[in-house]
Amino acid sequence: MKAIVALITFLISLLMSSFLQAQTINWENLKSEEKHILNVNAGWDYSFAYGLSYGYHLKTKMPIILESSFSLASGEVIFDDFKTKIGGQINVFQIENFRFNAAIHGIYRRYENPIVTLQNFGADASTTIGYYKPKWFVAGEFGFDKAIVTHFKHSEIYKEVYPEVKNGWYEPSTGGNFNFGIQGGYSFNKSDLTLRAGKVMTQDFKSTPLIPFYLQIGYSYKLD
Amino acid sequence: MKTKVLYSAVMAFSIFFFLSCENENNIDESGNLVPKTVDEDPSLPSIFVNGTHLHSETFGNPNDPMLVFLHGGPGSDYRNGLNVQQLADKGFYVVFYDQRGSGLSKRHDKKSYSIQLVLDDLTEVIAYYRTSPTQKIFLFGHSWGAMLGAAYVNSYPDKIDGLILAEPGGLNKKLLDEYGEMSRKINIFSEVTSNLLYVDQFITGKENQHAILDYKYGISSSFSYAKGNTEGIPGPSPFWRIGTTVLESFIDISENDGFDFTTNLAQYQTKVLFLYGELNKSYGLSFAQKEAAYFPVSEIEEVKGTGHEMIYFKWENVEPLVLSYLNNLK
Repeated sequence: MKAIVALITFLISLLMSSFLQAQTINWENLKSEEKHILNVNAGWDYSFAYGLSYGYHLKTKMPIILESSFSLASGEVIFDDFKTKIGGQINVFQIENFRFNAAIHGIYRRYENPIVTLQNFGADASTTIGYYKPKWFVAGEFGFDKAIVTHFKHSEIYKEVYPEVKNGWYEPSTGGNFNFGIQGGYSFNKSDLTLRAGKVMTQDFKSTPLIPFYLQIGYSYKLD
Repeated sequence: MKTKVLYSAVMAFSIFFFLSCENENNIDESGNLVPKTVDEDPSLPSIFVNGTHLHSETFGNPNDPMLVFLHGGPGSDYRNGLNVQQLADKGFYVVFYDQRGSGLSKRHDKKSYSIQLVLDDLTEVIAYYRTSPTQKIFLFGHSWGAMLGAAYVNSYPDKIDGLILAEPGGLNKKLLDEYGEMSRKINIFSEVTSNLLYVDQFITGKENQHAILDYKYGISSSFSYAKGNTEGIPGPSPFWRIGTTVLESFIDISENDGFDFTTNLAQYQTKVLFLYGELNKSYGLSFAQKEAAYFPVSEIEEVKGTGHEMIYFKWENVEPLVLSYLNNLK
């Protein structure tokens, strides 16, 4: 019961605070009066996924964006596999057109197949270093996504396979993946067209996910 | 801004509270998500051979002709082949074992596996259970197990008195690739594909973390019986635990070194029985004929009303074909 209350509290806080995902941003094109950034994206994120995100541009000396996102895995069952993120990114420093940025997010995600339903709380951290012009940008990115704690609930199919299987929360960390790649974009008026692509490796640097790449195409629109 | 700080504090406290109040399980501990192996659970039936510890059991009179069942995979186990034990009532000494690193048998490091090693294991299993030098030995292999059976006869044609091959996935690298292309077409937008791949961000597992890796592969097994699968598999069939490390090791061996289990099959003069499922669109008569052509004498039989998992789902149609073949060689 305590877990349920805590989970509800977490989800409420997730929904009510200013949140969005790791948006791909042209910092050079982001004007101080532009507060809201809406983004839609699609691409390969372990499987084919569609996403929405929202960013809130804080009025601070050092550019900061609070952000949250929601993405769904493709498939006939819509809401069985999804991921939400809440966090922010910051432009740490700038030397002429070169910028160094950092981002951190909390993650809640869900996975379901005929055998098991997984719910996971995790976190990711990433850095980007790139060259930014008002009309375009290109950057390299490096990040780490940790699945910190995961809840397992098995279906009857798996209980027949292994009747003694233990449902519940599992630790230590059930997984972690590094990603490295590039991102870039073209900016016009209040819009950005963006592209991210790269490779994913598991945390031991010896193995990879079944499809060890990611690719995301996005469109962002900024509002005052 | 104060509101944001408040919500962040509530969230952080909630997560801390939530994590500290629940009983957590260890994901890397056998017995939680996957069953223990024979080296972890002494109550399981097992044998020590060739430097390893295998999950194994037998049915029937030890003095009857021996029938060794070779399960699929690599890495799967004999649980979905247990219908074969019914041949114990028909005058055969039926031997089951989970191959090295598979099912409930002991796990080993990824780099330790080789084709010759699993052939040696089979030699030792036969020797362990054989009750006399004149006892006839038959092999019954399914899928990868059928490939292993062919590999054994290819290496030791004079040691085996009869061979039953139920849809071997490819007796050499070329045929394996051909079968793989026919049986594993994926639609990147489908639920089945998401079910197979999306889990990679939840569970990873390091090399030789066997409990995690075996569990992860096990829950991906629903891919094989997804609606519309070309192998004619109608639903889940039981397994104990899948040996992911041995599977990955043999995939590496296949990709890096290739393999060919057909080089010496011409020396095997005994008739070989090939079985294929009527509903497996990826295999069929033409693929069976390609594989059977490597043997001097063969018989090909279609098993009606089933696909690749014929032993579990349609044993009543498999048994008469197998029994007729074995009784002629008994």
